[in-house]
Amino acid sequence: MADNYSITLDIKRYDPDTKKTWFQSYKLDAGRILRFVDLFRRINNEQDPSLAWGSSCEHGQCGSCAVRVNGKPLLACELLVENAVKDFGTTKFRVEPISIAPVVRDLVVDLEKAYEKVHRAKPYLIKRAPLPPQSSYYQLSPKEIERYEDATRCINCFSCADACISSHKNFIGPNAAMASIVRLMDPREEEKEERLKLLYSEEGIYRCHSSKACSFVCPKEIDVAHFIALAKEGAFRGDNGE
Amino acid sequence: MGNKLKVSTNLSCDVLVIGAGGAGLRCAAEILEKKPGASVLAVTKVAHPQKSHTAAAQGGVCAVDPSDLHDKPIYHMFDTWKGSDCSADQNVVKKIVETGWDQLMWLENRGMHFTRLQGGALGKRTFGGHTSGFGSVSSFRAVFDADRTGKSMMDTCWQEAVKGGVSFVPQSVVTELLFKEGRCIGAILFKEKDGEFVSVLAKATVLATGGCGQVFRITTNCRDNTGDALAVILRAGFPVMDPEAVQFHPTGIVGPGILASEALRSEGGILRNKDLEPFMEKYAPKMKELAPRDIVSRAMESEIRSGNGVLNPDHNIEHVWIDLRELPDYVHDVKLKEISGFFKTFVNIDPKKELCPVRSSNHYHMGGIPTTEFGEVQKTSDEIIPGLFAVGECASASFHGFNRLGTNSLLELFTMGKFVGERVVDYIKDGSLTELPKEAGEVTFSQFSKYLEASGKGNIGVIREEMRNLMTAKVGIFRKGNEMAEAMESLNELRKRAEVVALASKTTKMNQDLHQRWELDNLLDIAMITTKGAYERKESRGGHYRDDYTERSEEFDYHTLAYMTEYGKVDLGKRPIDMSIFEAGGEHCEHFKMIPRKY
Ligand SMILES: Cc1cc2nc3c(=O)[nH]c(=O)nc-3n(C[C@H](O)[C@H](O)[C@H](O)COP(=O)(O)OP(=O)(O)OC[C@H]3O[C@@H](n4cnc5c(N)ncnc54)[C@H](O)[C@@H]3O)c2cc1C
Ligand code: SF4
Ligand code: FES
Repeated sequence: MADNYSITLDIKRYDPDTKKTWFQSYKLDAGRILRFVDLFRRINNEQDPSLAWGSSCEHGQCGSCAVRVNGKPLLACELLVENAVKDFGTTKFRVEPISIAPVVRDLVVDLEKAYEKVHRAKPYLIKRAPLPPQSSYYQLSPKEIERYEDATRCINCFSCADACISSHKNFIGPNAAMASIVRLMDPREEEKEERLKLLYSEEGIYRCHSSKACSFVCPKEIDVAHFIALAKEGAFRGDNGE
Repeated sequence: MGNKLKVSTNLSCDVLVIGAGGAGLRCAAEILEKKPGASVLAVTKVAHPQKSHTAAAQGGVCAVDPSDLHDKPIYHMFDTWKGSDCSADQNVVKKIVETGWDQLMWLENRGMHFTRLQGGALGKRTFGGHTSGFGSVSSFRAVFDADRTGKSMMDTCWQEAVKGGVSFVPQSVVTELLFKEGRCIGAILFKEKDGEFVSVLAKATVLATGGCGQVFRITTNCRDNTGDALAVILRAGFPVMDPEAVQFHPTGIVGPGILASEALRSEGGILRNKDLEPFMEKYAPKMKELAPRDIVSRAMESEIRSGNGVLNPDHNIEHVWIDLRELPDYVHDVKLKEISGFFKTFVNIDPKKELCPVRSSNHYHMGGIPTTEFGEVQKTSDEIIPGLFAVGECASASFHGFNRLGTNSLLELFTMGKFVGERVVDYIKDGSLTELPKEAGEVTFSQFSKYLEASGKGNIGVIREEMRNLMTAKVGIFRKGNEMAEAMESLNELRKRAEVVALASKTTKMNQDLHQRWELDNLLDIAMITTKGAYERKESRGGHYRDDYTERSEEFDYHTLAYMTEYGKVDLGKRPIDMSIFEAGGEHCEHFKMIPRKY
């Protein structure tokens, strides 16, 4: 393993003032454990302060930094230079915004628009199941939770939606669908009909072609396709439910 | 171009919540529960409230479970008081602790996910400083959701806000507060996507913008934690309380500063310097790696200062090692799976085989906008600003005094969020909207046009990095009078340098350089008051450690109020520490006097 790499980033840029799109090439010498967000910051500090890119936590926990690197959607805060070189077998990278919403500038996309789908899926408890008598909260066994726990780890980075071959048409998208599926699996949710109506609607899960691209790219290693498959079967509550 | 800046839209609402993290949105939810149909706008700097930094909290949230026979609210109050190094306000401590469990249930009932025990009850953990019986044994007081408690809480908060009908204003920042006859009547926002300034008239305004860790080079805080609301408050002529009360965590992963839990040390991880010497023996011969956070942090920094650190060339940060190679596979693969995973993900290191680089990292700001126990913002120690509230890490009520216990922050968010929401509902009952003052936006436009008109050399990011390095070196874990005096001079110079920098582009639309230019001014403001507060506090207390005054001193038994209307000219005032539990003279009150913080 080298200590340093000569990296070229071909970054797709967009200027909303002129509506122009172009690729701009930046060359950097980068240490092995710098992450792509660190490279973007260095471009700002050393070469071009006008490049806009998104990030917040830089801990892989907020999903603000998803970009496409050589065609693959991933979190820029988790991509180390040395892993990128190894995984893609090159030191030249094409970096583009994810395609799930209009671009605001350069790598920044309008996540507000993308989230409309997640809101439409009503990620909250629509109608709480009544509390058992004399308890202040719901008792849920780890076994019950285990069935859907993985899906609760979704950070809405929209990488899956970017990779999904169906989500650009009318599909609500893998992560939004999963947000509703989680609540169908959560014993604390009483409202099922409304959820099923959405999931089986025109924009619902039958738009999914089961390509499993979502599971393949998810940085949280959530098997998104598995949850969508459960929904297609209507297997929300396992053996103790319906 | 600069002189063309103007307010392009006028909005109005019942309540303007600035900052949509755990605290802001819990408050918004309360307002809508108590007053359904109220119009609530929640502004966030990030792309969506879910991206707020509360989502990064890992370990847990504490509250005293009434069904736990070993635990009592009075123990939790004591731990918080002692942990704060006797500078938390006891009225606030009592209020938060007593409602903790009910409010946790509020979250659970609304769908927050938790790690559970076999029977279905909430699982619990111990955390440093949390005890039963006034320090006699560790208590299991923290509930959690694996290593993502903050995310689960954040999710419930934004989901409830969506459900309740809060309107979000994402990717926008508050740049100015509006006042009429001493009352806060709204704010000016900069909507970055559109590059537009909007005015918002509100019956009540709540500040909930979170921490300001970006003041330091090495921090666990997110890129957006630049202390904006604190700077906005200063510019309006109001104070920030205890800016010098900053907490550092011993083990941040180099270089992203990701928090690696204390569990690493309790499971047997050993800290080593560049010669691989296990140095904790020198600093805490008995407790070694298990000594409290601040002692471990200081030991690590001492090693680095005396040339025993190791330089990471990629991030250009000096660090020490934590050696996890001797831990059993079970600990790596099961017990500490997530943390081991962090080293793999962020520094490509296999902790089973290699040494892991760690450095003490800035972690939390105990200080903030001074408020009453209802979140009303104060302009002096006994006067409030009607219509203006603050909650969460940007506020200081003060629940944490000079040192926060792990898991107490998340607790504060949703308890104070509720209290502030209640107070706001009460306040807006007979409130009405006023007209937009003529001068609305002047502060903002004079600031932003200067940024856009500057035509000199320099780079905003570089100045930001220099400032952060300066603060980590001179106002960090060790503080010394002469070094802080130097730091204040350097800050003045950095600010002058920043003033002339020509931006790469003069557009206002999603102009990251412009955004960072404004943030830099905020950071420089916070850096200055932090340094001045620390300089004048000639004692050591909680997270504030002075090399030249190593003990706590009675003389400083108060909160600092720092005002700054002209850069570098900081006026300091005082607010007394509330000791109402002690003064009430009830059972156990003797534990609430000024006691030593010894563990
Ligand atoms: C890595 C890490 C781990 C932690 N673990 C724990 C833990 O286990 N337990 C615990 O109790 N505490 C923990 N903490 C502390 C705790 O997470 C924070 O103190 C808390 O989440 C802060 O919440 P908040 O709502 O005040 O702010 P945030 O969640 O940061 O939200 C601030 C909001 O304000 C917005 N904002 C910021 N500036 C502006 C502006 N100018 N205009 C408009 N909006 C703005 C932001 O976009 C965001 O929406 C941890 C902290 C870190 C960094
Ligand atoms: S499922 Fe995975 S890829 Fe999709 S949004 Fe959630 S975290 Fe991102
Ligand atoms: S910046 Fe938060 S996930 Fe990358």
